[in-house]
Amino acid sequence: MGKIAVLPRTVADQIAAGEVVERPASVVKELVENALDAGASAVTVELEEGGRGLVRVSDDGTGMDRDDTVLAVERHATSKIHSAAELVGVATYGFRGEALSAIASVSKFEMETANGTDGTKVTVTGGRLERVEPVARQRGTTVEVRQIFYNTPARRKFLRSQRSETRAASEALTVLALARLDVHFKLVSDGRVLLDAPRASNVADRIALLFGAVTATGLIPVDGVSGGITVRGFIQRPAEARPAGRKAYLFVNGRPFRDHFLVRAAEAGYRSTIHPGGRPTLFLSIGIPGDAVDVNVHPAKLEVRFRDRMLVERAIEDAVRGALGGGEAAAEFRGERGNEGTGERSLVPLFARSFDSGAQLDSLFDQRSTGASSPAAAPWHGPTAILQVLSTYLLFETPEGIAIVDQHSAHERVLYERTMAQLSGPGAPSQRLLLPLTLDLSPPELEVIETHGDLLNAAGFEVEPFGGRSVVVHAVPNPHPRFDAKRCLEEMVADFARGRFGGWHNRLERFAATYACRAAIKAGQTLGTDEMRDLLARLFACDLPPHDVHGRPTIVQLPRDELERRFGRA
Amino acid sequence: MKFTITRERLHDGLAAVSPTVPAKTTLPVLANILVEAGSDGLRLSGTDLDIAVSTLVPADVDAPGAVTLPAKKLVEIVRELPSAAVRITGAGEQRINLECGRSKFKLLGIAKEEFPNFPPVKFDKAWSVTSADLLKLVNHVSFAASTEESRPILNGVLWELRGEKMRMVATNGHRLAKMDVPASGAKESADLIVPPKALEQIRRLFGAADMIEIAKSENHLGFRTGDTRVFTRLIEGPYPNYEQVIPRENDKVATIDKEALSSALRRVGVVASDQTHRVRLAFSSGTLRFAVSTPDLGEAQDEIAVSYDGEPLEIGFNANYLLEVLKYMPTDEVKFSFKAPERAATIEPAGWDDPAAYLCLVMPLRLVD
Ligand SMILES: Nc1ncnc2c1ncn2[C@@H]1O[C@H](COP(=O)(O)OP(=O)(O)OP(=O)(O)O)[C@@H](O)[C@H]1O
Ligand SMILES: [Mg+2]
Repeated sequence: MGKIAVLPRTVADQIAAGEVVERPASVVKELVENALDAGASAVTVELEEGGRGLVRVSDDGTGMDRDDTVLAVERHATSKIHSAAELVGVATYGFRGEALSAIASVSKFEMETANGTDGTKVTVTGGRLERVEPVARQRGTTVEVRQIFYNTPARRKFLRSQRSETRAASEALTVLALARLDVHFKLVSDGRVLLDAPRASNVADRIALLFGAVTATGLIPVDGVSGGITVRGFIQRPAEARPAGRKAYLFVNGRPFRDHFLVRAAEAGYRSTIHPGGRPTLFLSIGIPGDAVDVNVHPAKLEVRFRDRMLVERAIEDAVRGALGGGEAAAEFRGERGNEGTGERSLVPLFARSFDSGAQLDSLFDQRSTGASSPAAAPWHGPTAILQVLSTYLLFETPEGIAIVDQHSAHERVLYERTMAQLSGPGAPSQRLLLPLTLDLSPPELEVIETHGDLLNAAGFEVEPFGGRSVVVHAVPNPHPRFDAKRCLEEMVADFARGRFGGWHNRLERFAATYACRAAIKAGQTLGTDEMRDLLARLFACDLPPHDVHGRPTIVQLPRDELERRFGRA
Repeated sequence: MKFTITRERLHDGLAAVSPTVPAKTTLPVLANILVEAGSDGLRLSGTDLDIAVSTLVPADVDAPGAVTLPAKKLVEIVRELPSAAVRITGAGEQRINLECGRSKFKLLGIAKEEFPNFPPVKFDKAWSVTSADLLKLVNHVSFAASTEESRPILNGVLWELRGEKMRMVATNGHRLAKMDVPASGAKESADLIVPPKALEQIRRLFGAADMIEIAKSENHLGFRTGDTRVFTRLIEGPYPNYEQVIPRENDKVATIDKEALSSALRRVGVVASDQTHRVRLAFSSGTLRFAVSTPDLGEAQDEIAVSYDGEPLEIGFNANYLLEVLKYMPTDEVKFSFKAPERAATIEPAGWDDPAAYLCLVMPLRLVD
């Protein structure tokens, strides 16, 4: 007799369930998705013992009739597609027809549903249909999943602490709450309301509600299109990006998914604006033709496959970079917080690409889909008066309040971008010196001169060994009238020798960042009016004006509403 | 203290001294002018600690005495006074009364003891130069000194005194000006590094003088004509060895009309970068072509006729440096010499009928294509 036997159906279901149902949070995800697919406008999730005792999901969607209710708990029973062709561009969260049967095979399962005429209740225990009975209830569906994995003790052992299961369940709901602003979500755990998110009219409000006002106000809007792909959402201001604790949420055509490489692409868009270890929070929603993405590659639909992934990566990187260049990316003055209205945003359009392009400024206004109220302003032509404060900060009026620019950071940004262009282009202008400079260097520093000779030269430094530990400098760049070439070169060489800026992997970028940092006007340097004006004009002509190369802001804004709040005018 | 002086004499005395008074100072007494009434008249002095100016004006002194008075207020008052005798009387406790016609003022000063002492420069061993020679040097050279703080020595003007000639040199490391004039008078050779600010005061005060007496102490230099003296701190040397960098073998020589060159540079300079003001000069037989190209801004080309018969050569410059040098050239035509695109170029007056020798040098900017 052969050794192979077909498994009993319940056992096969239990095994298959492993792919879909991993922990209570997966149950939450599947049930809530079903509720959303059924057109619910309100979904309530209740947990007991972190979902290990009970997960109950109730909705006010279409419900089912008696026959469908019974079919629904069968494997491969779905109302959502009828043929493989319909998989392309499928607009519902579900389409595999296996979630309910999988869940029911590893729990004590009850589903009550009514479609307005019929009311039905099914009871399934460990995959065995126990009862089908009529009930009276309002339109909608309630699913109760008790004692998950009661019949597969090995898997029950793998469940984590109640706290961690609750957190995972809450996260599952959060993701969907970000995707569907038009639905009221509620999460109750052992009688405590953890989340209550009424319908929202914009993403910013939802983000504020889910993550707090501080996170929400640290975000800037993204709105980009390239190669037929739209990228919308919100990303963190570079100055606020931290090495840990970031949140990254990606959606494609409204469907949440995970993709490490796309997160990387977004981070690439931040290049040179954050410290290399910084990890920005991202909420990005990708719009792409349905046939350009395959959503059926993962049993729990956590991943998707793009037909042309490079195109998507590029669209994300460009959109992020585009967003960082705008005035809204400038840091904002933060007073003590706490009793502020939740979700209040005061994103201030600070500048167009250049002062004189009114059109650009208008598009910044348009881009603000989040409903911050501001009187539409006439095109702004740059600051009228600039005040230098503490010989370090430049202060001026903007259409929306006060902006403060850090002269060193600003100049650093200007020089970084210019140097990048020069290093990859024809090289920087370089002034020959009548009296060459002599530098005495340590052996590691001499090594730096050798290994970076090409870049130093392109940046405008003509350096030649002079025997022993000395080098002679015959020509230097002239980035500003107060430039101290000798000091700049000494500091740069020391930086390289000590491995400063080591987080910058690209050699050109690291060089440009080091040079920009060392050549820029220092803090404490008194500047003339023309110099200040010139610096601001150059800053605002940059691709990414609001950020220096260390992840610090170049601009801090003190918006009108903050002033009003402080002076009690609000 | 009690003296009477004409409003005009007081005004002139203050005009000589007050420009030395610093506009902003942390030491309050420096905002004041030291007023000393003595048997030989009224001495007025002001200083910013780097430079001091002191002048003696005739006055009828009834009682000697001294006080310091706020320079700005004193100047403003005297400017508005009618043309009549001004009578100033000490009123105790650093106060003075000032009367002129029916106008009366009371002013509060600061004790003269707080005023800094003047540098101990003795004029008994002084030597003399003609004011014309000294001012010629200053006028042609001091513009070239550096205004940046990174190399303080270059903030000064080198003044070399030799038996038969005087020379001044100034540079900011990118361009240099040098002039020699034949002169006698200096008893011994000396290399003095003088702040341009002091030379500016000399030019202002001693323009009309004939001879200027000069005396030196260890760290200071004094200038004197008649009753006016200027003292300045000297910058400590040694000055860099500039001789060694002045090119001797610049074999390509163009003779160029100064005005044509300046106006072409100004024209194309409009589109040059604000930072480097880079222009490209292309010399070829009989012509000098100008080209400027600035990314994000635009391009410009121009051409003038020059007398040149060397090999074609292209060289880049900061247009502002050239324009500045041309401004000081005393002749209508200039001699432009160079050797290679990375070597120093020199500019000299062409056909200058003068015993002085003048040379400016400009370091090129790297040309990139
Ligand atoms: N809350 C609900 N309201 C109305 N109908 C529902 C609800 N939940 C499930 N259904 C119906 O039951 C069917 C089976 O649900 P199930 O989740 O097992 O599969 P699916 O959603 O079609 O696909 P997937 O396995 O990808 O989730 C659905 O196609 C839908 O018709
Ligand atoms: Mg489903």
